[in-house]
Amino acid sequence: MPEGYLPIFIYLICAILFPIVLLGLAKLVRPSLPGQVKSEAYECGIQAASNARGRYTVRFYIIAILFVIFDVETIFLYPWAVRHQKLGWFGVAEVTVFLLILIVGYIWAYRKGALEWV
Amino acid sequence: MSQYYTSVDHFVLVPAILLALFGCAVLLFDFLLFPEPRQRKYLVWFVALGLVFTGGALWRQQHFLSVQKIDSITAFGGTLTIDGFALFFNWIFLAASLIVALISYKYLETAGEHQGEIYGLILLANCGMFFLAAGTDLITLFIGLELMALCFYVMVGFLRGDRRSNEAAVKYLLLGAFSSGFLVYGFSVLYGLSGSTKLAAIRMALESRGASDPLVILALVTVSVGLLFKISAVPFHMWAPDAYEGAPTTVTAYLAAGSKAASFAFLMRMFMGPLAPSRELWEPLLAVVAVASMTVGNFAAITQSNVKRLLAYSSISHAGYILLGLIAGNDTGVQGVLVYVLVYVFMTMGAFLVVAALRRKEMLGEDLEDMAGLVHKSPGYAFLMLIFLLSLAGIPPTAGFIGKYFIFLSLIQTGHYVLAVIATLYVAVAIYYYFRIVRSMFISPLTDRAPAATSLGLKLALAVTGLMTLLIGIYPEPFLSLAQNSLLR
Amino acid sequence: MDHILSIVLFTPLVGFLALLFIPSSKPAAIKLWANIAGFAGFLVCLPLVFAFDRSRDFQFAEKVPWIPSIGASYNLAIDGYALLLVVLTGLLGFLSILASWAAIETRLKEYYGCFLLLQVGMMGVFMARDFLLFFVFWELVLVPMYFIIAIWGGERRVYAAIKFIIYTLVGSVLMLLGILALYYEHFRQFQVRSFDVAQLMNTQLDPNLQWWIFWAFFVGFAVKVPMFPLHTWLPDAHTEAPTAGSVILASILLKMGTYGFLRFSLPLLPDAAKNPTVIQVMAVLSIIAIVYGALVCLMQKDWKKLIAYSSVSHLGFCTLGIFALNPAGIAGSMLQQINHGISTGMLFLIVGVVYERRHTREIAEYGGLLRSMPIFTIVFLIAALSSMGMPPLNGFIGEITILKGAYQVSLWWAGAVVLGIALGAAYLIWLFQRTMLGEVSEKNAALKDLNAREIAVFAPLLLLALWIGVYPKPFFQVMDRSVTQIVELVQPGAHAGQMVPNRLASLQR
Repeated sequence: MPEGYLPIFIYLICAILFPIVLLGLAKLVRPSLPGQVKSEAYECGIQAASNARGRYTVRFYIIAILFVIFDVETIFLYPWAVRHQKLGWFGVAEVTVFLLILIVGYIWAYRKGALEWV
Repeated sequence: MSQYYTSVDHFVLVPAILLALFGCAVLLFDFLLFPEPRQRKYLVWFVALGLVFTGGALWRQQHFLSVQKIDSITAFGGTLTIDGFALFFNWIFLAASLIVALISYKYLETAGEHQGEIYGLILLANCGMFFLAAGTDLITLFIGLELMALCFYVMVGFLRGDRRSNEAAVKYLLLGAFSSGFLVYGFSVLYGLSGSTKLAAIRMALESRGASDPLVILALVTVSVGLLFKISAVPFHMWAPDAYEGAPTTVTAYLAAGSKAASFAFLMRMFMGPLAPSRELWEPLLAVVAVASMTVGNFAAITQSNVKRLLAYSSISHAGYILLGLIAGNDTGVQGVLVYVLVYVFMTMGAFLVVAALRRKEMLGEDLEDMAGLVHKSPGYAFLMLIFLLSLAGIPPTAGFIGKYFIFLSLIQTGHYVLAVIATLYVAVAIYYYFRIVRSMFISPLTDRAPAATSLGLKLALAVTGLMTLLIGIYPEPFLSLAQNSLLR
Repeated sequence: MDHILSIVLFTPLVGFLALLFIPSSKPAAIKLWANIAGFAGFLVCLPLVFAFDRSRDFQFAEKVPWIPSIGASYNLAIDGYALLLVVLTGLLGFLSILASWAAIETRLKEYYGCFLLLQVGMMGVFMARDFLLFFVFWELVLVPMYFIIAIWGGERRVYAAIKFIIYTLVGSVLMLLGILALYYEHFRQFQVRSFDVAQLMNTQLDPNLQWWIFWAFFVGFAVKVPMFPLHTWLPDAHTEAPTAGSVILASILLKMGTYGFLRFSLPLLPDAAKNPTVIQVMAVLSIIAIVYGALVCLMQKDWKKLIAYSSVSHLGFCTLGIFALNPAGIAGSMLQQINHGISTGMLFLIVGVVYERRHTREIAEYGGLLRSMPIFTIVFLIAALSSMGMPPLNGFIGEITILKGAYQVSLWWAGAVVLGIALGAAYLIWLFQRTMLGEVSEKNAALKDLNAREIAVFAPLLLLALWIGVYPKPFFQVMDRSVTQIVELVQPGAHAGQMVPNRLASLQR
């Protein structure tokens, strides 16, 4: 039985109990007079015009995805870079294949207009 | 060749290389060489060419195995294995991909969303399926799974303007990602228990640990979640009806046939490999899952009015049947799983093909009423659908009966009498909803006189699936011996 | 003569394939071809009758491996009992096609196609000596019958058709489990995979396993017979089916159930068949079928439903005879099955005749048809007398033999048989009186009598009824060896003193 974890469990229980107890006590003690103005969302004093869930441009999402893909590609180049001497020509061929596959994807994205901002 | 990539490695990997190469090439050729819509049929030819080359590579592997009289070739340090099991499934995937490529042309053209990427995605999904069938290492299997799944996520949402398609894709993606998370967690536990990601090593480690180890139970449960999700077994089946209904019908056919077959290959490798020592743990678990799948699948299908949803629920119940073969566990059971998956691929694709043929620009052709009086409009389609439905129900002399024969026999041989009785009784429940479709086609009067679609690809695909469904039923011997040689032990 | 059974089996299939090429715009050609194919199907059965050797068991054997890896083969052979059923199938298959000439106007090609496929299935069931092949043919019968009922049937046809198929399918798949259990047990004992029934007979089954397999088979066969309480599909299916469909359903399909009991349950599972509990249950169910079926007939207002329930009652006789497990009972049961095929076939054809004319099955609508349709009345009278067991017609021979067999077992059984015969007379005579005698209304007076084709349909059946009733000896001789084989297995030594009719002792060794 891992005894070393005991303090962590105690911390966990305290962490869970702490907000529960505080908020619970506060709820019991405080007065409760909800009003329409008090319940509105805070917008620096201005009245909220619409739902906070508005539509946003999908091009941000596309940029983010493209970033993730090519960033991870770069990350995968590091292990090869560290051991490139040992891996020799085979390593070069392997990495070239890897990059070519991703370049196919890049060309596809380019020609399909994913890289256009507008 | 170098020490990291021997000629054996290359020999084993060639099919995947070809599929990936052709897949990427299709993506490029789509806008480089064949930008016009009417030139898309060359893409289909190109895909067929790629599949033929891959078939040739598979044939070389099969020939090598039989000539050298060896059971398997392992490559990449034991992470990729070509054995009878892998080859059996790879042939199935190839057939499924070819059929889908043939029919996607007409269907997507009618639906107005005929982009060339579908063909690339089909080939890449097939590449992922190759790794699922041939992988004997946790990482390889996971890569294959994700490659296949990602291609399917996109294919399911292929009809960009259709809300149902988008919804289906998002649902499938979210649930699929979630279950993959469970799966990988289970894999990490398995790695922790054994110190290796190779299936054989994990099996040995688990054998020495014993079955009641809580970590083993944890690994078993989490890995099962991921695996059962992919085969759409209860209680992880929720994605199937929506995904099947929303996706373009040809993609549904591929999903129901190819993805499920690949997932079963994966499942069999896991349950008969590393998880085999803990059989007394997962046998009752899978028995419950199988019975629940058959129950939910059969009873939910009774009330459906959308044919694709009905077939989706019925495929959930078929997943339950196939699991019964695994539960039985003897050689007949494994042979039953293989044979059932083979016949299931052809009959399910056939059924969805007929539904796909009914699509017109303004009418989806998916409801039971849309099939009313089909026998007067297109008797060929109606009779083929009848054969597919009889095969799905398991009535001789169609192929579906052969699959069920082995499953029932294996259950009786291993003494699972209650499961056998339950499985047989559900056949009668299934016949009710399959015959609702038959009634609509043959007995209801014809209301919609517009002709159903025909194209060369569709005819070819229907001919192949119909022929196989009848052939395996009437003369199953060659297929049975093929399955017999492909057993996993 | 080598492949005569395959020829008999596949002639209707050839007819079916040729039918597909006749264009739908030529209904007369379709009808003509269908009748030719049906007649050909009957003609090829006749050589079997002449070439049949009464001193041998299974003849005309053909065996070709089909699925060697599981031990299934294309294995056909018939003995006396199967011969009778095969000829009956050929004859009634043809007559039902002939009877549909004027009755069916729409979708002729599909209709006759279904009948020809049905013929293949039924023939296969009676001829198969391989269990898996038997099962395939057993199931093959379901789909054409579904279509016959569901497309060309009466008002509630879709309900009746799906009910028929679900009931029968539940029975058959449970029977499949029994077959697989038997197959596996044989494999465990002999290390050989085989579905050959002759080889499976060598399996030593312990009584407990026999018990379970018997009940698995029971569900499959009892639904088909149909035995109480699994009979509820029958009234719906019979009433809603078109005339020819009802004829073929009653005459042949129901016999598949009793054939199953005699061919498989008794020889393969003798200990289970001899088990007192089993006999008790079978007897009780048969007696309930006899009495309940007959009583329900008495209160029927629908002509066809009345005859449907009379089938339940008559087949109760047959199953009671089977489980008497003595030569008289079994031989009587076999003969009565043939008789039932003939007489109930005739009765359904009779209903079909009036239905074609008046399009109603209500008994109350009819009356005094003697005046407008005298020939028809005579035919009906003969059919009714045949069905209720009046000498010199065929029903009497069958029933008296079953009575003898039942009497040897228990007085109660004999009492039930007698009660059943009496009730049978009651409802049939009452039916005859209500429909044929009495006041004739205007609509009934205007009805035309039987035309030449209809007389041609009835003629062979009437002749057979008379023949079996007056001179049943050849029929008993043909089935004698089958009876002896079965009785030997369930009650060794029992046949020695008790062979049924008269001078057959010379045939015994």
